[in-house]
Amino acid sequence: MSEMIHVASREIKIGFRNPWAYSFMALFALFMFSLLLINAQGYVKGYSGSSGTMLNLALYLLPLMALMLGSFSLTGEKEEGNWELLSTYPLGTWPYLAGKYIGLAVVLLTIVAMGFGLSGAAGWLLGSGFDFSTYITLLLFSACLSMFFLSVAMLAGTLARNRWQALTIVVGIWFFLIIAWPSLLIAALGMLPYLWIKPAVIGMTSLNPAELTRLFTVVKLGGGSTLGPEYYKWMVWIESPWGTPVFAGAALLWIGAALTVAYLIWERRRGRG
Amino acid sequence: MTALRFGRALVTALGGCLIAFALTGIQEAAASSPSGVKTAAISDAELAAAPVVAEAAGADLQNAVNEAKPGDTIVLPPGTYRGPIVIAKPVTLQAQREGEAVLLNEGGESALRIEADGVAIVGLHIRDEAYKERPSVLVAGDRARLEALRIETGADGIAARDANDGIVTRTVIDWAPDGVPMADKGNGIDLYNAHRWQIADNAIEDVHDGIYMESSDDAVVSGNRIEGSRYGVHCMYTAGTVIRDNEGNRNVTGAMVMTAREVEVTRNIFTKQNENVHSQGILLYDAHQSLFADNTVEGNRVGLYVELSTGNRLERNRVAYNFVGIQLIDASMNDVSGNRFQGNVADAQARGSQDNEIAGNYWDSFRGIDADGDGRSDLAYAINPFFQGLTKKRPAFQLFFQSPGMVFLEGLYQSERALWATDRSPLMAPPGSGANEERTAGTAATGAVGAALLACSCAIFYRMRRRRI
Repeated sequence: MSEMIHVASREIKIGFRNPWAYSFMALFALFMFSLLLINAQGYVKGYSGSSGTMLNLALYLLPLMALMLGSFSLTGEKEEGNWELLSTYPLGTWPYLAGKYIGLAVVLLTIVAMGFGLSGAAGWLLGSGFDFSTYITLLLFSACLSMFFLSVAMLAGTLARNRWQALTIVVGIWFFLIIAWPSLLIAALGMLPYLWIKPAVIGMTSLNPAELTRLFTVVKLGGGSTLGPEYYKWMVWIESPWGTPVFAGAALLWIGAALTVAYLIWERRRGRG
Repeated sequence: MTALRFGRALVTALGGCLIAFALTGIQEAAASSPSGVKTAAISDAELAAAPVVAEAAGADLQNAVNEAKPGDTIVLPPGTYRGPIVIAKPVTLQAQREGEAVLLNEGGESALRIEADGVAIVGLHIRDEAYKERPSVLVAGDRARLEALRIETGADGIAARDANDGIVTRTVIDWAPDGVPMADKGNGIDLYNAHRWQIADNAIEDVHDGIYMESSDDAVVSGNRIEGSRYGVHCMYTAGTVIRDNEGNRNVTGAMVMTAREVEVTRNIFTKQNENVHSQGILLYDAHQSLFADNTVEGNRVGLYVELSTGNRLERNRVAYNFVGIQLIDASMNDVSGNRFQGNVADAQARGSQDNEIAGNYWDSFRGIDADGDGRSDLAYAINPFFQGLTKKRPAFQLFFQSPGMVFLEGLYQSERALWATDRSPLMAPPGSGANEERTAGTAATGAVGAALLACSCAIFYRMRRRRI
């Protein structure tokens, strides 16, 4: 436990000295702020044009941020020899990976908090701004998204040998999960028999954390009926009192699974190394 | 029972004076109310014998009705009366004090059946709470006037069958039985083959369709408020219907105009029709030569839904904060202009609707270029049909509604652009003077949380800064 805390606090220290973290923060805050200005006369409430845009902005930016910061942190240690040094200490792989995850999570959440804090406060001062529950929902959505993709980043960082490899992998993952996702699914599943399409879409969606979080948030913002009659039961279910705890449980499970795979690979390489 | 006893006591105690009171009341009404209203048209000779005060006691209202002569006014003192009542002659049934004469019906019959022409019912509170087939008030005579009623129903509230020229005003209709699914409820007001009705200033809640009109032409529906029902106002096979100044909230669909012609839907407000996967603000299906103007549709799943409809004019509507602003499916020859689309998740979706005249609308997601300064963009706004086409073939992909990848893919899809539904000259600024939305209070909490988040993150950055040793 104390090993994990040590790794986490070291990671936080390094994370806040990383110029990447600051440039990402500036980017995120800038975009949040400019969306607010575009929407200067409106008021963001429920699932509407502006909250939809904000959702999509977060979907573009936050996964990329999490993937790059996370994977670079792991591969950086490999490249600079820190990991070899740490290997000489009695430090397990689990405390190391978990500590890294927690440390990076603090950095990412601070960036998200900064962006949202700025737009929330500025919106209030400028007289436009957010409805309270919509603001909180979007904030939680962004936090969730970062945590999901940070676990993917740990996996990518484990697989890659150096920063360049990590960059290639994470940009690939990002493009695949965020941009190309509908195109790929439509192309691939279009060939399936009609009745298989829906189960296949559901199965694939549960593998894509970006889609999972997006759909959950859309329903929570009251936009569940946009998903059409096919997914009516989802909407009812997510809005029920069990919706949030089960989503949280599924998120933890997902993150845990990604970290476990990363752990297994890391252990295997450590054994061989 | 206490109400009954109270009624009986009242009659015994005040017997004579009550008749006198009722008489003066009616004379006053005759003096003050405009001509054409039935109660006013009672001659002196009739008055001498006319107004019968029902014996509130055993409440044998049916007897009183049977004994009354055509043209009589029966004044009902406060109390409870037993249904069912059948009215087969032109009389007026008037509660002495509005809402305090209760007609209680517990059987499977209609609480009130109007078979004669020219019957008026005023101020009655009808409790007909059993879940059943027959409507609470059945109107089968022409020129019925139903005013200031309160109806708690377990069936259709008011149903008119083959009866013309009726009036329903200031009436409140509520669904009474618990636990009945919406599909099995009755309608608030249900017209069938009943023409030229006026339905104004009523409030209807929790029923199947608020106001349902089938094969009933030239009805005027105005100033009604309909909530929590399936469809607010529903026209089927009608012509010349006017739907004006109504308000709908939390229904599946606000106004549904199906297989109808020359309908006028103006100045209505339909909000929050978004819970159901089939909900819309205003739906046109097989509607022709109709006018839809100056309505406000806000916060619905689809603001304006137009399918297989031709020759309609959709003008100056305010379509705001819906998930989809306007949806055009195989619609043609419609004129869509001067509407304001603002804050919708997707402004427009269209499929197979290239022959419409779309011009001069404001789309807030579109950035036009206005080189000649006439307030209209020189670039057209074309509605991408890709998503509509995709989800029609494979509804499972509806899941991608406005996902980032979908927006990206739609941007790539540009084939046969000439066949898309297109606004030739979109407005550069929202029409009308009220450009600014009213601000809702409650952003202060957001501001406070935002400031707190900002302060926390800055504190962390400050603490974590690189320090000189």
